[in-house]
Amino acid sequence: MAFTILTGGTFLSTGAGVKINLPSSADYFRTWNITQLPLAPATGVVIGAEWFGQKFGLGASAANDGIRWKKLDSVNTTKVDTFGTATASNGFTYVTSNPVVEAQAANAITAITAASPGVVSQTNSYSDGDIIQFYGTTGMLQISGMNFQISSSSGSAYTLIGLRAAGFAAAATAGYTRRISKYAAVDPQFLYVTEITKATQAVVRCSVDPTAYYVVGMKVHFSVPASFGMYQMDQLTGTITALSAANYTMTVDIDSSAFSTFAFPTSALAATSKMFATVAPAGAKTSFDPLTNTQYGYDFQFQPFKSGQFVPYLYLSGGAQSPAGAASDQINWMAYKLEN
Amino acid sequence: MSRFERLSTDGGQLDGSGIDPASEVPQRTDIDATMEIYAKSIVTNEQVVLYENSKTLTKFTALLGQWLREKEDLLMRDLFASSVSYINCTGGTNGDQPSNISLNDVNNIESILLGNDARTMLVSIDAMNKFSTGPTRDSFIALCNTNLTQDLQRVTGVLLKNVYPAQEGLRPEEYCAISRFRFFVSSKGIKTPGISTLGRTVYSIPMYGLEAAAKIEQNNYTAVIGYRPPWVVSSVAQNSQLYAKFAIARAITNQNWVSGLNCTTFIAS
Repeated sequence: MAFTILTGGTFLSTGAGVKINLPSSADYFRTWNITQLPLAPATGVVIGAEWFGQKFGLGASAANDGIRWKKLDSVNTTKVDTFGTATASNGFTYVTSNPVVEAQAANAITAITAASPGVVSQTNSYSDGDIIQFYGTTGMLQISGMNFQISSSSGSAYTLIGLRAAGFAAAATAGYTRRISKYAAVDPQFLYVTEITKATQAVVRCSVDPTAYYVVGMKVHFSVPASFGMYQMDQLTGTITALSAANYTMTVDIDSSAFSTFAFPTSALAATSKMFATVAPAGAKTSFDPLTNTQYGYDFQFQPFKSGQFVPYLYLSGGAQSPAGAASDQINWMAYKLEN
Repeated sequence: MSRFERLSTDGGQLDGSGIDPASEVPQRTDIDATMEIYAKSIVTNEQVVLYENSKTLTKFTALLGQWLREKEDLLMRDLFASSVSYINCTGGTNGDQPSNISLNDVNNIESILLGNDARTMLVSIDAMNKFSTGPTRDSFIALCNTNLTQDLQRVTGVLLKNVYPAQEGLRPEEYCAISRFRFFVSSKGIKTPGISTLGRTVYSIPMYGLEAAAKIEQNNYTAVIGYRPPWVVSSVAQNSQLYAKFAIARAITNQNWVSGLNCTTFIAS
């Protein structure tokens, strides 16, 4: 059976896991730990690893598995087994679809403070920057169904910079979360709005960091239901003049100083109010003078458009006994594809 | 791709002084769209052809054709799912947030689209002298998941497509007309599991008017279904290959002309 070496490369391990993008998929994948190969052996250190794809049927590698070549003892004996063999270590995982909502049990929260920013109490394994979707938030139903980016996370709590809950009547007493993908299928994507100031240039706070999705100069379109107070903002289109990653805000060239105050509906009204306030991308504004044939304004090539169409990747677990190696290990890798 | 914004309607009166009114520089909004190319292939072995003996290549061509159109539809669905602001349904009676779909919710979207000067996509179907039929107005388009069909039938004033006065030219995917929207259903419609207040699946329904979104094809490179003969694919001329390939760029061309509803189902799903 003929094969093609699709691609290959090398990286210096940091000890953490590594994602190798394989847009055309792969049927076989090989790594060598060039640093550890000639060194005095340490028991269990993986010097090479192999992974077999779905084309091998029953012989395909399971998730977090594969074949490992490891140092066995101090006389430099090599043993070949699988990552799942005792003593097990983490191997390869081939990821072929975007986990929009992760296959995980709903995680219960115990409270969200009615403060600015809101702080969530929950036993969790989330990391800073993760995006969490809330639902069934008893006492604070107005945010049920919204996505929030988290920060200052610990195993028992995290902060929602995008949530200004100080004006809410009550704290949330219960509810659930799921971690979702940071990227929608297509970017730039729509974002949830949690606050709009009254100013000559309105400052709009989002539930996630907008700098990851929008850029200065982009036009954005607002959808603000009447239940959020600032009904004058509804269906307006403005241009972003500034963005803040620290505050999750964007400044737009819309004069909201005479508008009504923006405020979430109450939890009790949430079930009958038209939610949510959102902002969506609307292109980039330029002026074209046909007399001089000159274009002014924004260079649309800087816009962060990307298709979120998922690119399959192979995840190499990190660590001395895993394919991506320990810190400072030089790892060579090659991906193969069978021709038929 | 770009669109020109409307000229200002302020002023413009000639007051007899002989002074020309100020000219206006047209404002253009550029829409960023990246060309993407997708492809799929099937390898056929000559012995399979002999064994199967039932026009394998014809079947495979049809399969690739189906893949191509299905993939295009999914790509456009993802664009609508990611880039459009949705409004929660609240007029339903299932006690969830968002609620199941109701006439008030649909009418709300109609107001938004009309208020933004969106144009309808489909022409009206005139009334005819046939029992139990009813005319439809010129309509916007709504796309939704097949799981919503039970709820669509409950909406006040719904016209299922069998009661349209004329059936010519209707697509099999069309389900009904509600207010000024014609609803098309697909099993691939947008849904997000477990995010309503009660933890139910939320369905998103993009609703849009004329030229709100675009699927752009590249000049001289659109959809191709091709055949690679055995002497090209295989050294002993035993395998042949069929492939489909297409280029597409997707964009919401005007956010004013597209909106949508988030809803849950009346019976939990």
